[in-house]
Amino acid sequence: MRTPAALLYMILLIAVTTGFTAAGKPHLPQKKITLFFHHKLGNEELVLSSPVKNILGETITVEKFKYYVSNFSVTDTRGNTVVLPVQYFLVDEANSLSKTIILTVPDISISSIGFLLGVDSTRNVSGVQTGALDPSNGMFWTWNTGYIMAKLEGSSDASASAGHRFTFDIGGFRNGINAARMIHLDTSGTGKQEQIHITADLNRWFKGSSEIRIAETPVCHNSGALAMKIADNYSHLFSINP
Amino acid sequence: MRLTKNIWVLFLIIITGAGWVGIDNRYFKPTPVKFQVPKGWPQPVYDFSKNPLTEEGILLGRKIFYDGRLSKDGDFSCGSCHQQFGAFNTYDHPLSHGFNNSLTTRNAPGLFNLAWQKEFMWDGGINHLDLQPLAPITAENEMAETIENVVNKLRSDKEYRKLFKAAFGDELINTQRVGRALSQFLLQLVSSNSKYDKVMRGEASFILPEQLGYEIFKKKCASCHSEPLFTDYSYRNTGIPIDPVLNDLGRMKITGNSSDSLKFRVPSLRNVALTFPYGHDGRFFSLISVFDHYRKNMVPNAVTDPLLKNRLPLSNFEVGQLTAFLYTLTDSVFIKDPRFAAPGAGNNGKPPRDIHP
Repeated sequence: MRTPAALLYMILLIAVTTGFTAAGKPHLPQKKITLFFHHKLGNEELVLSSPVKNILGETITVEKFKYYVSNFSVTDTRGNTVVLPVQYFLVDEANSLSKTIILTVPDISISSIGFLLGVDSTRNVSGVQTGALDPSNGMFWTWNTGYIMAKLEGSSDASASAGHRFTFDIGGFRNGINAARMIHLDTSGTGKQEQIHITADLNRWFKGSSEIRIAETPVCHNSGALAMKIADNYSHLFSINP
Repeated sequence: MRLTKNIWVLFLIIITGAGWVGIDNRYFKPTPVKFQVPKGWPQPVYDFSKNPLTEEGILLGRKIFYDGRLSKDGDFSCGSCHQQFGAFNTYDHPLSHGFNNSLTTRNAPGLFNLAWQKEFMWDGGINHLDLQPLAPITAENEMAETIENVVNKLRSDKEYRKLFKAAFGDELINTQRVGRALSQFLLQLVSSNSKYDKVMRGEASFILPEQLGYEIFKKKCASCHSEPLFTDYSYRNTGIPIDPVLNDLGRMKITGNSSDSLKFRVPSLRNVALTFPYGHDGRFFSLISVFDHYRKNMVPNAVTDPLLKNRLPLSNFEVGQLTAFLYTLTDSVFIKDPRFAAPGAGNNGKPPRDIHP
């Protein structure tokens, strides 16, 4: 009689003190990888409030550059893709902490990573969100519901708008005008698997599938054709540093 | 003896475990509120499972609704432009007043039966009730404040921290909770006690002009202003010529489709006697001017609603009877319900006596 009772206490005690936390955890071994985002214009490091010439020859002074990344996935050398639990990050040039993202991934040999530049349509129709998606972060249209996927603002002598400003607030989540873009990056050439350095080259914002001249279109504040053109450009924004 | 000891040890283990599990919300017991769907009405579209109604949440939402600190200069609360005695419209104003002597560009609609509404604003640009307040808060010609500042102002107020804890379990104040609390209050604004409703429930009967008006209404108006909400929430071009100053293209601004040019949401006709002036920019000063628009002044174009291609013929007699019917849509209980009034505004906690004949 004594032994079973003691055993029962032991089991109960263990269950209570561990709080059953062990239950339900996946068995796959996990590891952490760190993504470092670097912002450039060609070979130049991007510096806020500092004039620089872009690929189309227009001199620009960037004051704000931020964008959402979400819906990460990793693919191993055999082509198996693991979709990670959905997370949202706001990468902001003005906040250096935001340019480093740590992800927990399965311990596989990673050959490429994928993510969404922007916010999926589900989060655009689900009311007020928190954290990186809190509308107070200024990446949200309050008059026409939806996230600003990416924002590039500053001034340029080429701009004919007030204060020579250019403001590209790129958003839209509905079918046909969705400005989020899937990004796939081959990481097999990187030395360290756990530390991936990603460069966003703003020259590609201005010149990709099409050319965006500030002299012609200094402002984009709406979803639609122009936003889609810029989104197609920024779908080529990123590359992996070897 | 050993049994007693066993029981004691077991008891201690359970107490330890329970304390560990329940440490976060031991004292959090808000009072749930059940949302009542009036008899014969469709199910609401608002997802209550994401934002369960509680007495504490509703009280908090009411306090925020009537708090001027939501605006930059502290002068404008939601209640400044959404006045209860006008069924929560801006009474007798085509456009509303905003920050620094500015004017809005659209007429502030009455607020009621929002649980049944999927999209908000005259152009339907906002797709969730919780998000709706962010638009007037941040608009330069309305409250002209930033969301961040509003949240910080509420955070710095001890009273609010207490109320948020009572409503949501802890003192965290963020955009989501502000939106949810406001929604909890706004969802209470159910207007379903007009004379029309009483007639439908068999508690009253129409007098002759009202009855005749109802028959005309069903024939000529109900395809868009459908019962029981008196709107089908669609966007339609009713042949309203564009105002050259406001230059408001309506729904087209949201969808980017030229076929949506000058389309605006069909407004509910509930409480219509109180919500003058009418139209998205308040251009119609009276019901008569609305009727005259439909029967005479419309400017139909390619995207004007097919139902109105030939305007809407109405005789003087019909206009008179229709007016009599539309006046039965005034909910005099709703506009005096102390639960919806500003906190402390002569609120004795009891609903008013129905003053309808």
